[in-house]
Amino acid sequence: MSAVWRASRAAVKRRRLQTVVIGLVVFCSTATVLLALGLLDAVSNPFDRAFEKQRGAHQVVLFDAAKVSAGQLAETAGRPGVAAAAGPFDQATARLEKSPPGVGSGAFRVVGRADPAGPVDRPELRDGRWATATGEIVLNEDGDLVRPELLGSKVQLVDGPELTVVGVYSSMSSSADAWVTPEQMAALHPTARQMLYRFDAAGSAEQLESGLASATAGLPAEARTAARSSASLEEAFSGTAKAYLPFMTVFGVLALLVSVLIVANVVSGAVVSGFRHIGVLKALGFTPNQVVGVYLTMVSLPAVIGAVLGTVLGAALAQPVLRVAFQGVMRGTAVVEVSPWVYLVCLLGLPALVAVAALLPALRAHRLSAAQAISAGSAPRSGRGLRVQRALGGTRLPRAVSLGLGQPFARPARTALTVAAILLGVTTVTLTTGLTSTMVQYADSGKRDGGASLDIRVGRAAFEQTEPKLTDRQMEALLRSLPGVERVSAQAISQVKLAGYQQSSAGFFLRGDQDPGDIRQIVEGRPATGAGELVASPTFLSQHGLAVGDRVTLELEGRRTTATVVGKSIDGDARFFFSTWATLLELEPSAGAAYYDVRLKPGADVQAYVDAVRAAEPGLYPGVVDDGNLAADTVVSFASVFTVLLTVVAALGVFNTVLLNTRERRRDLGMLKSIGMTPRQVTVMFVTSMAVLGLLAGLVGIPLGMVAHRVLVDNVGSVDFPAVMKDVWHLPELSLLALAGVVIAVLGAYVPARSAARLTIAKVLHTE
Amino acid sequence: MTTDHDSDRQVVVQLDGVHKEYGDLKALDGVSLEIRAGEAVAVMGPSGCGKSTLLNMVAGLDRPSAGTVRVNGHDLGGLNETGLALFRRRQVGMIFQFFNLLDDLPALDNVALAAQLTGTPAKQARHRALELFEELGIADRRNTYPAALSGGERQRVAVARALMNRPALLLADEPTGALDSRSGEQVMDLLIDLNQIGQTLLIVTHDPKLAHRCASRLVEFADGRVARESALERQL
Ligand SMILES: Nc1ncnc2c1ncn2[C@@H]1O[C@H](COP(=O)(O)OP(=O)(O)OP(=O)(O)O)[C@@H](O)[C@H]1O
Ligand SMILES: [Mg+2]
Repeated sequence: MSAVWRASRAAVKRRRLQTVVIGLVVFCSTATVLLALGLLDAVSNPFDRAFEKQRGAHQVVLFDAAKVSAGQLAETAGRPGVAAAAGPFDQATARLEKSPPGVGSGAFRVVGRADPAGPVDRPELRDGRWATATGEIVLNEDGDLVRPELLGSKVQLVDGPELTVVGVYSSMSSSADAWVTPEQMAALHPTARQMLYRFDAAGSAEQLESGLASATAGLPAEARTAARSSASLEEAFSGTAKAYLPFMTVFGVLALLVSVLIVANVVSGAVVSGFRHIGVLKALGFTPNQVVGVYLTMVSLPAVIGAVLGTVLGAALAQPVLRVAFQGVMRGTAVVEVSPWVYLVCLLGLPALVAVAALLPALRAHRLSAAQAISAGSAPRSGRGLRVQRALGGTRLPRAVSLGLGQPFARPARTALTVAAILLGVTTVTLTTGLTSTMVQYADSGKRDGGASLDIRVGRAAFEQTEPKLTDRQMEALLRSLPGVERVSAQAISQVKLAGYQQSSAGFFLRGDQDPGDIRQIVEGRPATGAGELVASPTFLSQHGLAVGDRVTLELEGRRTTATVVGKSIDGDARFFFSTWATLLELEPSAGAAYYDVRLKPGADVQAYVDAVRAAEPGLYPGVVDDGNLAADTVVSFASVFTVLLTVVAALGVFNTVLLNTRERRRDLGMLKSIGMTPRQVTVMFVTSMAVLGLLAGLVGIPLGMVAHRVLVDNVGSVDFPAVMKDVWHLPELSLLALAGVVIAVLGAYVPARSAARLTIAKVLHTE
Repeated sequence: MTTDHDSDRQVVVQLDGVHKEYGDLKALDGVSLEIRAGEAVAVMGPSGCGKSTLLNMVAGLDRPSAGTVRVNGHDLGGLNETGLALFRRRQVGMIFQFFNLLDDLPALDNVALAAQLTGTPAKQARHRALELFEELGIADRRNTYPAALSGGERQRVAVARALMNRPALLLADEPTGALDSRSGEQVMDLLIDLNQIGQTLLIVTHDPKLAHRCASRLVEFADGRVARESALERQL
């Protein structure tokens, strides 16, 4: 056994508590870092990963079949900047006469393709097989559930054949709603040709645009009817997720910072406090390199154990946490998982960080002579620190307090690291409480008052459902007449074109009782009440270049009407707008409701109501609606997990700092006790020394957290938080938060301070 | 030599059958000792015989495994940690071989500290400390940090600190052990002067010269026990 190993083992044994603290800090930090990195990785990657796996199309372009030939399009594959191209494939837009539940509403894009392979866009098999014969159809499903009942079901096209579903595929490029064989396609009278391109440069929206321009250069301008880029796909893909992914990123980064800081602080502190011991080793004849070796071994042992256990814990936490975080967000074949490099970084990176943190002070010890090292064991003196101590000695504060206040100045570097850790802790707590408060209000704004909410759909033969016998108005009257009801509204959804825009939007037209919850959701303007009024989400308005007060022309099957944007809702889908029944009647005089929203009285029997509806009209299909706001819940729970972890880590850092301080100050402590410092005064002294850092960290960390909160909520594209939800800071909260840093500091300091107070120091007084 | 006059004086320290064990090791093995006001007692003995342990018992820095320790009427066994701290503040002053000054306070503040812990305002405490500095002849060093003081000066600062709260008993553990002979002399003179104005002293030392110059009684220790007690004629 080498001398280095023996000395390190002895050192670890003699400093059990310190070893345990290092191990614990590395353990917690590793778990936190793993979660943070896993999150950052998952946030940035699932779309890209799945997209690249399928060699997704950077542009999906539609051409008018009458204006450009297949040969002309095939040539575009060789254009500069085009890395790969697939097509042309014929495409038809069909309407469905009859389809399985949940398939196709509105225009249905059917593309003729012989196989899902090729250089661009390889839809991934979910169920069944690709279409090989006429009469067969393959559906593009982007939900994350496999629905076995789809296979073998029938799709009836309006004025077209009945097709059998033989497969379900998923295309990250969203290149079609369904595929058929090219032969079958010919029978559907395609009017468009589809080209799928991948470009050499596809990093930005501009590059996607110029790639498209280069690929289609020289073709008749009017031949190109539509193009959809991967950027817009990604946008759509993570639409909901975008509401809170920035939050998670911030928490991830904060967690990383705090962990790294604390590990550095704890480990370098361990080495610095061992300077005297280093001097003794040197006096014994250890070479400088052996001394460094002893210290590296000493801290690496707990670090490696902590990193391994932390990785195990982090890995165990990561999957469920990520699943919660991305619930309802996933589309297509994207899989949320922690990349292997994250585990690798945790397993190797944290011990490496520990080694570096130990190496820096150890190298300093390396240069010191034995005598210098021994005397460096007591706190080094710095001029400013001394002046502060002296000034404090003259104040009216109790002496234990003023001694505590002076302590941080004795070790400025350690103090700085400790303050930084508490500061980040306070910033996190501030940010979390702010976000929680914003998100709770946000979730509340979506909450409906009163009892259960029911979504009652009108049966459609196309979905193999019973058609109701009652008329629209009779059904509404029926729903109003059943016991327990509070409000009823009828809604119709129609694909409406806004004049001047390529794509149509889904218009929700409402009749009956307005839900106060809906009204609360309006953050600008007012709800739509009369004919020719509509409200929409921030994303809808920004994508259409509209603002509250603007007028638009709506088109539906040849009929037109003008409408004014009267309000903006807090959030919502970019493809939807909301208007009134009166508006719909202008476009579609014979319109009937597609479903009814029913709100029951608080405490009303939901099942009884559902049974009554079914009994009275078998053509109505009631379902219970969950009011919960998943995004808000996720942010709140996620923020809480990180806050707890970071508070623990920060408190451990403080604990360690006080532990080191009490160790180094044993002699001073002994002297103070010998002249009559009471145990309480000792505790007060050490707790004060950290509380002042906590206060300082609070004073800086709170504004920092407030700014972070504001920056975050202002930059959530899909949610437009009104001022009341952003102004969450009031005096009581702020003063409570100011205490947060102090609480973290006191929590961490109290235990070692108490044990210092109880320490029998008789021995140290008599020895040098 | 004990005189009738001595036995009239108040008992300041009274140890009865004091034992102290560290595991199997008996550091003190039934020590009984009485010190009266105004006495100067020197304790001598081989290294490891329990002298410092004895001093810790009297100072209330440690508790005996068995036996009673009474100092100036206080039964230390009946005091909790806080009680002991308050006792140390008022009843005893201690000086050590290695001074034990706070490195980051100037000399005067080191001394003032002892009074400030009891709640004396800074100004008053510094005032009283300065008086002591003047008496001890180190007033010109009051703003110097311990690192820049000579050993003898440091020990005089330590004495000043020990006297700050006018203790009934001054305890010294090898006060000249870390000093050269000239500085040692100065500290000895100081102790003699203090005893002459009535300060009770308990001094642990390896230095026969210190014992014979300063003490009126010699207690010889061996293996945690009092081996011999003798009165001393001061050799001035
Ligand atoms: N805290 C302790 N834990 C264990 N043993 C101790 C402790 N303090 C003292 N001892 C032991 O008790 C015995 C007496 O120690 P003490 O310090 O009283 O000796 P001393 O007479 O002052 O010696 P020296 O002249 O070298 O200062 C020694 O053997 C010492 O090792
Ligand atoms: Mg001793």
